Amino acid sequence: MKKNNRNIAKVFMWIVLLIVAVIQLFPLIWLVDFSLGSSNEMFTNGLLIIPEKIRWDNYGKAFVDGNFLHYFRNSVLINTLAVVLVVIISIMAAFACQRMKWKMSGLVSTVLVMGMMIPIHATLLPNYKIYHMLHLTDTIWALLIPYAAFSLPQGMFLMTGFIQSIPMELEEAAVVDGCGIYRIVFQIITPLLRPSIATVAIMTFLNNWNEFMMASTYLSSPKWKTLPFSVLEFTGEYSSNYAVQFAVMALTAAPAVIVYIILNKHITKGVAMGAVKG
Amino acid sequence: MKKLYSNKLVIFSLVLPGVLVFVFGVLSPICLSVYYGFTDSTGMGEAHLIGLRNYMDLFHDRVFGRSLKNSLFLAIGFICIQHPLAILVAAVLDKLQGKAEGFFRCIYFIPNVISVAVIAYLWKFIYNPDFGLLNHVLQAFGYQGQINWLSQENAIWSVLIVLIWHGFGWGMLIYYTGIKNIDPIFYEAASIDGASWWTTFLRVTVPLMKPVIQINVTMAVISALKQMETVYLLTNGGPSNSTQFAANYLYQQAFKAFKYGYGNAIGVVFVIICVLATVGLNRIFREQQDV
Repeated sequence: MKKNNRNIAKVFMWIVLLIVAVIQLFPLIWLVDFSLGSSNEMFTNGLLIIPEKIRWDNYGKAFVDGNFLHYFRNSVLINTLAVVLVVIISIMAAFACQRMKWKMSGLVSTVLVMGMMIPIHATLLPNYKIYHMLHLTDTIWALLIPYAAFSLPQGMFLMTGFIQSIPMELEEAAVVDGCGIYRIVFQIITPLLRPSIATVAIMTFLNNWNEFMMASTYLSSPKWKTLPFSVLEFTGEYSSNYAVQFAVMALTAAPAVIVYIILNKHITKGVAMGAVKG
Repeated sequence: MKKLYSNKLVIFSLVLPGVLVFVFGVLSPICLSVYYGFTDSTGMGEAHLIGLRNYMDLFHDRVFGRSLKNSLFLAIGFICIQHPLAILVAAVLDKLQGKAEGFFRCIYFIPNVISVAVIAYLWKFIYNPDFGLLNHVLQAFGYQGQINWLSQENAIWSVLIVLIWHGFGWGMLIYYTGIKNIDPIFYEAASIDGASWWTTFLRVTVPLMKPVIQINVTMAVISALKQMETVYLLTNGGPSNSTQFAANYLYQQAFKAFKYGYGNAIGVVFVIICVLATVGLNRIFREQQDV
């Protein structure tokens, strides 16, 4: 009797998990499915279609006319630079505020972390003016500065916590050996922070990879636009060709999904660490 | 050691980049917003100081009121629908062992890494009355007729559904991590007492997860307040402002209606509301913990 009960519970468990999995995944399967058909096939009654002929050329059009390669390159470059900036700056500032002895350390640390409360979108209007005045609109700086600025508070917060947990003795030994502060920060502390750097990098990437509001406000030419613009600017001649539009959406989503599936364990751990502490 | 660790010049050089980024990226735009909030700027040409008039207007602005109500609606939706589901699924997932556990965890999080640009456009197609997925699903269950998901009455619910779907993996993951951190001793005790799975969930898991729930609730409220991207692409606040949100509204006022000064005034009030909400919720939860 008891065993029977347990089996029922197990079946029930699987059903719940499968239903949720279907809900989370089905829209994406639908997207990929229809991206391989022709536009006319959208108006069938079934949930999914078996395309008469698999139209890989939809993806060809999406790749070329969606300017995929150019936008992808921009996204990789800008996000990598933003991550490097956030990691270096937050390690330096967190070390100075956490370990070094000065009167304002607590205040500066609090102010930098408080930036977390400021909504990004409130800065869209004034930043537009500022970048215009400084002739930064349409340059890479118009994205790098706000991306770094809005990921820094979180980076700073996480790094402060991590540096706190490193024992002082290591640094004391280094000082006895005649190490300067910069060497302590970059050659002793930084390598120890490797898992935390991964967390900060993942959080910064997730924050900024898909960002498009600032990009569409501060940029006017395609020069530095990022991957979401493959989708946003893809209408015009294909406005009635839904299948190609589906292909461009699937293609734009692909890099992040693929990287996530490959690195899923690390990303899960990073998010869990970052979010619980944040 | 002491001397080395209190070298002012070194400290200055370490903190300077962070402070510069903060001043340039966060502080100066906010200050500029405060200034423009007091003007009748249209975005171009000269601006005149007009005192508190923008703020007086904002006080009577029905659309802004609607935006805040919509944020409240989202927050309640997250807390009453998304979070109970997330915590329950996390608890079930925790019971599962082996490869399947990682597999489901991975799948649930996938929508989260996809750009809002793709998500919003995809859901526009899903909601499409003619060939959208959702109406097809309803037909498969025998429902005849077409629902206009983005009509004035339905649109805010449709926005909520997209956001719950998109953010589900995130909330689930945080609860899941919290559950993994619970000491197994509590479960052993419960099973010795003969408690059922459901009783264990309600009496052991949920109470022990209180700090995690509090963090997640705070984040739900903040993200409901800050909502912009999905709405901007899915409905752009419409039809007739039924899905308007503060961030989207200030953007529209500044760049579409050319009321740049007014838009900045909204921005200032928006920042104040967000800061008050964060500080307020943290304080409420902290006091509870002390009791």
